[in-house]
Amino acid sequence: MKSGTRPSLVRRFWPLVALCLVVTAIVALGSLGNDELQVTITEMMIRLVVVVGIYLFIGNSGILSFGHIGFMCIGAYAAAWATVDPTWKQMMLTGLPDFLQNNQYGFLPAVAGGGLLAAFVALLLGSAIMRLSGIAGSIATFAFLAIVQSVYSNWESVTAATSSIIGVPTVVGPWVAWLFAIGALVLAYVFQISRFGLMLRASRDDEVAAKSSAVGIVKVRLIAFVVSAFIVGVAGALYAHFLGILTADTFYLSLTFVTLAMLVVGGVGSLTGAVTGVIVVTVVVEVLRHMEAGVAVGATNLHLPQGSQEIGLGIIMALVMIFRPSGLARGREVPWPFTPAARRAKVPAV
Amino acid sequence: MIGLLQNLVDAANLGSLYALAALGVGLLFGILRLVNFAHGDFISIGAYALIVPSFEVTAQLFIGEWNWALMIPTVTLIVVIVALISDALVFQPLRRASAPTLMIASFAVSYVIQNGILMIYGARPKAANLWSGLDTPILLGELRVPLLQIITIGVTLALMVALTLFLKQTRYGVMMRAAAEDFRMAQYLGVNGNFVIGLAFAISGILATAVSLLYLSQTGTLAPTMGVPLALFAFVATVIGGMGSLLGAVVGGFLVGFIVIMLQAYLPEDLRPFRDAFAFTFVILILLVRPSGIVPTRAFIERV
Amino acid sequence: MLDVNDIHVTYGRLRALKGVSLSVKEGEIVCLIGPNGAGKSTTLASIAGGVTPHRGTISLEGKPLAGVGPEGIARLGVSLVPEGRHVFGALTVAENLRVATYMRKDRSAIAADYDRVLALFPRLQERIGSPGGRLSGGEQQMLVIARALLTKPRLLLVDEPSLGLAPKIVDQVYDILLAARKMEGLTLLINEQSSHRILKHADRIYVIRGGHIQLHDTAANLQDGEAIKRAYFGFGEEAAIDEEDAA
Repeated sequence: MKSGTRPSLVRRFWPLVALCLVVTAIVALGSLGNDELQVTITEMMIRLVVVVGIYLFIGNSGILSFGHIGFMCIGAYAAAWATVDPTWKQMMLTGLPDFLQNNQYGFLPAVAGGGLLAAFVALLLGSAIMRLSGIAGSIATFAFLAIVQSVYSNWESVTAATSSIIGVPTVVGPWVAWLFAIGALVLAYVFQISRFGLMLRASRDDEVAAKSSAVGIVKVRLIAFVVSAFIVGVAGALYAHFLGILTADTFYLSLTFVTLAMLVVGGVGSLTGAVTGVIVVTVVVEVLRHMEAGVAVGATNLHLPQGSQEIGLGIIMALVMIFRPSGLARGREVPWPFTPAARRAKVPAV
Repeated sequence: MIGLLQNLVDAANLGSLYALAALGVGLLFGILRLVNFAHGDFISIGAYALIVPSFEVTAQLFIGEWNWALMIPTVTLIVVIVALISDALVFQPLRRASAPTLMIASFAVSYVIQNGILMIYGARPKAANLWSGLDTPILLGELRVPLLQIITIGVTLALMVALTLFLKQTRYGVMMRAAAEDFRMAQYLGVNGNFVIGLAFAISGILATAVSLLYLSQTGTLAPTMGVPLALFAFVATVIGGMGSLLGAVVGGFLVGFIVIMLQAYLPEDLRPFRDAFAFTFVILILLVRPSGIVPTRAFIERV
Repeated sequence: MLDVNDIHVTYGRLRALKGVSLSVKEGEIVCLIGPNGAGKSTTLASIAGGVTPHRGTISLEGKPLAGVGPEGIARLGVSLVPEGRHVFGALTVAENLRVATYMRKDRSAIAADYDRVLALFPRLQERIGSPGGRLSGGEQQMLVIARALLTKPRLLLVDEPSLGLAPKIVDQVYDILLAARKMEGLTLLINEQSSHRILKHADRIYVIRGGHIQLHDTAANLQDGEAIKRAYFGFGEEAAIDEEDAA
């Protein structure tokens, strides 16, 4: 790079800037629409936080995790414990510690608490399992998801089990979710180009290093795991304050599937892929959902049978895996647009 | 004493179902390195194939009403066809993909099948009476054992013996064992890779059908996600037993059945709901302490 | 019989073969020698269908092998004895041998072949019921060769038969290969790291290094070993170019 420091700095952060602009544009346009669209946009932004969080671990380390929705569950419940009305908690959640049971906290401390609890659990779990890789690592994360599911859907005095936590203040709308989405993007991008990110990516691309359990690699993996669990935990907290009601089975196989599908469709190799996946899958699912509800064609109301969105999503995911294994973004970031076309081919992907 | 014996029979019964499911999962993992999430959905299909497609809450038996000599082969055929189709459409184009990629792909297959069932039969669980005459208890001394449990254990043992004979004594069995150990070398010797994998899917489908029928006749309920917990425990069993080892899958299956029943019976009342959490914690511990399982195979060490 | 024309193979970012061409005529013994990592194994694996070149062609008796796949190529009479033995450790010696016969259409001839091939390997006969994984290194090498012979190949590809074996056993392996060749009318393409044994038996020799064929001549012309040494170690201008390619 012969160019001076200023342009190269701009260029270094260009993919992040471009992604933030796209996300902002989507929310700005969405905020002009009706209530239904606002809800869709909010949910999309929350999912963006989840997927970017998962990407931070899977994309950099190359280890597939099925367990991240477990962190989302942990973050969601932790935040709800903080913000739900104490009188309800004293009645229903008798197992909560005093400081949670008898107090009510604001939204931001609750979100931070959700993220931190998820990160803490990730630190404990990760210290044990980060030296596993390949299938063993993936199965361990899956077992974690099942453990969280079993605990949260049965621990009557703390999670209200099947009777749900109700009355979580619904304070998350499109712009709140947007703010967190931008935060997640910045965190993920900065991590990716940091020394840690580069080390992890090098180990991911080199099979021997990836399989090794060298202390250095394991430590960096653990850092990525904890940071990514924090982001996903925060997303859980947002989701709780978007839904207003919590049941553990929200955070199980379906959500795991949808978020993984987003990552696979966009491509696990780049942040651009993660964002692309969220946008494309959201659009596809919305279209299918509308078609399930019915489209008036002339006098008749045509509609797809129930289950079509899920089947459609599964098929699209399989097609992408077969025909475009590195995802729609092909593992690349948004390219710098001001390079002459002739030279563009030589610019290496991040 | 009688209580313990009763629990042991229950453990053998549940362990049989897990062992059968784990064999189906282990067989495909051995040959394809595929951790097949969709195995649970093969099991669901075997159960749903028995009833009339409708959104009604009470299931009406259709194929399930036929004479068993006709019904069992028909249901088996349906499940085997679904297994082969999922191979042809999804896994065959992904032959060169990594094991985690295959795992995600099978997740997609599972999701599609579950929602396909939901589309045809509705989301609500259904009650169905399959072989209801078989739950008459048999008295063995003071022990009361439902006939169905004896049949379950017996069928499982018979299928295990049949599978062993197939793998040891027939040419296709020897081919499969060779391919499971070193797929590329088997191909260099002219073994048709796609054929062997198709065979593995077919056998995995047969094993899944056995689980469908036994499980449905014991529980009497159908739900689109009914196979999921069975598949999860089958994974647990294969991991504990040692992935890629069929003997390990069986041992793991019975061990998981034993652990689950014992936790259910002897865990303090308050902790009983968390039975599954204990079982899955056990999986993580096994992975950490003995990554190659109780019955390790050379293949697993090379492949992970 | 076999024509390999300008094949290129890459593994990820590593370019293993950068345009390899060679040919083998019916009945010949051709040897491919070169240092570790030169591309010998990749060449044989490409011929056997285990690796797909992204450029170049391979044909057997004029018919291109692209898209045929390893099992199809085996059925056309090309058998690979890969490096590192690849015995099926959990299968008995007898089962290891049987796997090789399953694809054959001439079922009636199999029993006779089995006896004839096994006669070459008295040691295997003694251990016929033990699992392949229990055999010694030398016995495993015998087993994989016997197994390859039972596919009834016309062209046998042997990847580093002497790797990790004591010199005495290597002699035995070569004696058996030559005997089998005479008995079955085989054509042989053999990879080796060192040339001295090969010079005795081979008709023609290719020297490969850095994914390129560096030298090709008849064994008779190469008897003094000097030309091979030069090609093998790459004294001179070629070395510099290669460094650049690898980077």
